Amino acid sequence: MAGSSMKAIKLRIKSVESTMQITRAMQLVATSKLRRSKERMETSKPYADISREAIQAAVLACTDTSVPYVTARPVRRRCYIVIAGERGLAGGYNANIFKALAADAGETPYVVLPIGRKAIDKYQRMGVELLNTEHGHVEGLSVSACFKLVRQLTEGYLAEQFDELVLVYTNFVSMMSQEVRVERLLPVEKPDAPEADKRIVQTLYDPTPEETLMKAMPDYLAGRLYSAACDAFASEVAARRNAMDSATKNAGEMIDGLRLRYNRARQGAITQEITEIVAGAEA
Amino acid sequence: MAAFTLQIVTPDRLIYEGEAERLIVRGMTGDLCVLAHHIDYATALVPGEASVTTAEGERHAACSGGMLSVNDNHVRLMATTFEWEDEIDLARAQRAQEAAEEQLKQMSADDQNYALVEAKLKRALARIRTKG
Repeated sequence: MAGSSMKAIKLRIKSVESTMQITRAMQLVATSKLRRSKERMETSKPYADISREAIQAAVLACTDTSVPYVTARPVRRRCYIVIAGERGLAGGYNANIFKALAADAGETPYVVLPIGRKAIDKYQRMGVELLNTEHGHVEGLSVSACFKLVRQLTEGYLAEQFDELVLVYTNFVSMMSQEVRVERLLPVEKPDAPEADKRIVQTLYDPTPEETLMKAMPDYLAGRLYSAACDAFASEVAARRNAMDSATKNAGEMIDGLRLRYNRARQGAITQEITEIVAGAEA
Repeated sequence: MAAFTLQIVTPDRLIYEGEAERLIVRGMTGDLCVLAHHIDYATALVPGEASVTTAEGERHAACSGGMLSVNDNHVRLMATTFEWEDEIDLARAQRAQEAAEEQLKQMSADDQNYALVEAKLKRALARIRTKG
């Protein structure tokens, strides 16, 4: 009786140990990937930030309301760009993204441009119309791939296949915290200009703010998309590292508990044997 | 010479940040030159040669796409691609030129990919001219 429970505990310990080996290996891989992905994220920031400012200034300067990138129209259909992970085992990383999208979408019908294997699988299963399913690999999303995607998106937007373009991705705040962001890319919202910024009004646009916007918008969007993908990948790796770190810790605690039980069972078995021998000798 | 601050960025990196005396790029309406204390100005960029003059001298580059903005003596060049003369792969640009020319020959002008291939050709030509 005691022997069989000892054997069972030993097996559990073995299985938890091998799980721990896997989680620890994944943690190490994530840690080593983290440094490079953080660097890539940092280098993609300046373009996205600077061009956002320039585009917003141009939007403020626009007086003509016929620029489709600026003028809001009734939203019959949205397009979501969803950047999720390539794999699971990253805590709530993927689930949080899908939740945020569902909350934002409400009742409005939508199409999805999924980036990352998990996003493709999820929306394929849901039966949502997908614009493109080529980009399962977030880490490998190149600048030129972003330009290609944006061309497809702006064409769709201008042809009124959808009336709003929304980006859903995870922003890297710090190693410990990553937050899902839902950002409206198109139409570009007119930023508030509190004291009607004189500089912006006096800026000379060549030839006009409207034409400049029409021409520069795809480049800006591609930069934003690339930067978001870099952020999302760094977030995914950080989330996985954290998830695997706590999984490894939990496995360690579990093994400690099981060892204690194993030793107790072993002790019990020995005591019982001695009692049996002594009893046998006395008889 | 009077200087202005210049930032050149592409989607994947910051290429230059510092003082410059003169910048030449190709905007939507043609080549333009920015000197210190230029009026506040913005335009979209098209593929072409660019040149940056700093206290150390002039450097040439091939630049395409994006936007230029001048604001209170801060100049920001947001380019789709920006390669200094010594970074350009001439053989690759020539191959791209030939491929694009070949494609254009077989296309009609109203093909939806026409503008795309034409842009490729312009980029390749800008690189070749910069290098040459």
